[in-house]
Amino acid sequence: MTRTTKFVLSALAGTVIVGLVAWFFVLPRFVPYVFHGQAIQSSQPAPSIELNSADGPIRLSDYEGDVVVLYFGYTFCPDVCPITLAKLDRALDIIGEGAEDVQVIMVSVDPERDTPEMLKEYVEHFNPTFLGVTGDTETIDRIATMYGVYYEAAEGSEATGYLVNHTATVMVIDRDGYLKLVLPFEGTAEEVAADINYFLR
Amino acid sequence: MSTLLEYTTGPEGGDERRALVNTRKLVWWIGIPGALLVLGVMAFAIFEPIQVLPRIRLAPGYLLTDQAGESFTSEDVRGDITLYTFRHNNCGDDCAGIDETMAEVLERLGEVDFGDTDVRFVTISFDPERDTPEALAKEAESLGADGDQWRLATGRAAHLKNVIGAGFKVWYEERDDGTFGVDPTLILVDGWGVIRGEYEYRTLTSDADKIIHHLDILAEEIRNASGAAGLAYEAAHIFLCYP
Repeated sequence: MTRTTKFVLSALAGTVIVGLVAWFFVLPRFVPYVFHGQAIQSSQPAPSIELNSADGPIRLSDYEGDVVVLYFGYTFCPDVCPITLAKLDRALDIIGEGAEDVQVIMVSVDPERDTPEMLKEYVEHFNPTFLGVTGDTETIDRIATMYGVYYEAAEGSEATGYLVNHTATVMVIDRDGYLKLVLPFEGTAEEVAADINYFLR
Repeated sequence: MSTLLEYTTGPEGGDERRALVNTRKLVWWIGIPGALLVLGVMAFAIFEPIQVLPRIRLAPGYLLTDQAGESFTSEDVRGDITLYTFRHNNCGDDCAGIDETMAEVLERLGEVDFGDTDVRFVTISFDPERDTPEALAKEAESLGADGDQWRLATGRAAHLKNVIGAGFKVWYEERDDGTFGVDPTLILVDGWGVIRGEYEYRTLTSDADKIIHHLDILAEEIRNASGAAGLAYEAAHIFLCYP
């Protein structure tokens, strides 16, 4: 083997090694994570929340240090809410141990019918760590509006009573209390888990 | 002298020299790609080959009534790029600039390739007592708002305070004589309901020029949202490559 061949081969081998190291260990640290939802870079903390759970009043700031997953729904909800809460439960399963640092909160958009006790029973049916909260109509209107959520009463059936049309997105608030992500209703549990995991790193 | 010769040419000296050459090679092959990577990142941050609009904060959700008396909600414009203004029918000179800007942007939309994304204009009145749907319909006619691409709407006073004041962060106030004071503002919102631009005052560049430029940047980001291009756009957000 000539000296030139040796040089070329060693150069090729070096490039391959550096390339592999960069690809698996260096680039992942520099390549930005692409969320399945829409990221937000707000310089302001997430709008404050002061509502009532069956175990007493709660504030968003009580969960500083945890990743808060916020959802707006109601206990009479026939389809979208159960699907979303079941998906969030599955996402926490996928996350595994890190899920201890995640707090899922469902804010009622039907404050006239949903009591804190009904909400507790409803959300804990999906996962015992989930929290259901409500408040007076003015407070709910302010909080929902600030989180980009619309809701309005709509005609239902005799069995369900009136229905409530509402925004079905899920919001993710990071450990420092900043709203960072909006997840669509269509996302899978795996995608939701991956995005939440990003904030647990 | 003999010691020096032994050191550089002897069997032990040869090993050290080979080690030195190997180390140099290693530095060369790791250092060059590393330096190129750092230079590439720096060039991206400095020259900003891709520009993006900041994802400022969530736009508020709302339930309003439009000029046709129909329910109009924030979900009706989900997926669309939406430009918002805030006024009332008796706004007069306070709103003249905003109305002109909206009309100019509407006229110049053809300058931007929006792909499959629709663009909407929404004007929210903060005077629900006087600006009934019928009054809004009349005003819409004079503004050239067709009720589809450009809608005028209003709602309950308390809800409007939450939407316009707390959500969009636009100041307005009813004075003792029944007139309103308002900070003329245009707000650009993407299809996810995230605020991407706030135009609160006039600058040397007319607002319409700036908004058309920003619409172009936003439309390009939406067209390139997936794959490798999507990664580049995320990088542009990280490096704050804002216009």
